[in-house]
Amino acid sequence: MIKTKKILNLSAIAVFIALTSCGGSSDADTNELNVVDTVESNAEEQMEQLFESPAVESVLPSPLQVASIFKKSGLSYNSDAPSDPNLAESYTTELKQMLNFGVYSADMAYCVLNDQANEGRKYLMTITDLAEKIGMETVFEHKDLMDRFDTHIDNKDSIEVLMIEIHERTETYMDENDTRFKEAIHFAGAWTEGMYLGVYDYEHNKDKEDVGSRVAEQMSILKNIINGLEDPRNDGMDIDWLLTEMKSIQDTFNGFSSVDKYYNNPDADVLVLTSKEYDELGTLIKNLRTKITAA
Amino acid sequence: MKRTLTILGIFGIAILFAQTAANLTEFKENIASQKTEAKEALGSYRFDGSKITYFNFKTYEQIKEVEIYLFNNTDYRFSFNGKSLPFDISVQIYDKGKTASDRTLLKEFTGLQGQNLLVESSELNTTYLEKTGHSGRLKRVFVDYIITAIPTAENKTPTMKERGAVVLVMGYKN
Repeated sequence: MIKTKKILNLSAIAVFIALTSCGGSSDADTNELNVVDTVESNAEEQMEQLFESPAVESVLPSPLQVASIFKKSGLSYNSDAPSDPNLAESYTTELKQMLNFGVYSADMAYCVLNDQANEGRKYLMTITDLAEKIGMETVFEHKDLMDRFDTHIDNKDSIEVLMIEIHERTETYMDENDTRFKEAIHFAGAWTEGMYLGVYDYEHNKDKEDVGSRVAEQMSILKNIINGLEDPRNDGMDIDWLLTEMKSIQDTFNGFSSVDKYYNNPDADVLVLTSKEYDELGTLIKNLRTKITAA
Repeated sequence: MKRTLTILGIFGIAILFAQTAANLTEFKENIASQKTEAKEALGSYRFDGSKITYFNFKTYEQIKEVEIYLFNNTDYRFSFNGKSLPFDISVQIYDKGKTASDRTLLKEFTGLQGQNLLVESSELNTTYLEKTGHSGRLKRVFVDYIITAIPTAENKTPTMKERGAVVLVMGYKN
């Protein structure tokens, strides 16, 4: 019954679109048919695109899980490390807004997991503003998110549940609008920030070998972020510089002798880079993060 | 007369368009509710992400692959929902991608059509250790959907009865 109503409503809209431009001449008739043909072929095209998922895809971890992995490895909170939320106003291109939506999502997770709820609140406000700019305002349209954050500000578990809900709403929004391919751009920002926070902590506490291992472990995701960014539907986003930087990090990492040994030993459980390799990787991560967060 | 025929033509095309759009909307609404069901099946595991794999059944077999990362000895639960499958498929989980000739099959199951089934990373790790003898844990797994060949399928212009999707939701133990 609901379906029949939908069909009638949609066909009425389509007929209305066609008839409102009715002029009576044969040229006009041809134009009307062309308009409807185009509308129909767009719907068909949309349908065909949707039902042809790529042959190989990946599931990228949520910013909260990445932050949780680092936290469990002993990463400490450094108030100077996260990106300045005041910079958000200066991101005027869609690419920068999307990348820094990811950056601030990672920062929010970092703050919440380190019992810095008040700082986390600033990042929630910032990503809410950025979401509006990139057309995802519906993810945050219910004011209840901020209200719930304030109500549970002293309850870390509740705030973490709220973060999971934000992640889920973002995914649902992208699925419903067939824009899931853009996830790679958000994730590129979140991944870079997560890695930066790990590198920052490791550089200040070199004895934290486990944090270093987690930095190396997270490198495995990079290949699929690059694949996601290379989706032709992201053309026109001016992401060449980002791809160049990310590929350079990937190539450098793949060239490390520790990485080669690790991947050729199926019994190896943890990848530990040499001090020189960590420094080299850390420098590349910091450079990329600077470019992403620059106004 | 010509004008009447034109209007009738427009109306016919409009109905076709509306039917296509309504089918798409209905399919997506179903997927959204199946995702909710798959997420609920995670139980105490925390939602980490999802992947909806869409495909058309064809006269030949197809494979779609999803790569999943397993980090830092974390336990994961994978919730597969096959309630948008018009035909059953086979699900195979490997330690390496489909281009690797030396990959190990960790789990295989059918009967996903109309069901929500769960798989845990702990059982995949156990099988991995048993089959390979390696002492290292799995760092990632590759889920292959083996999409059955349907001899009567319309390869070029699939009908809604030949379109399907699998909802995969994953969660981790906190």
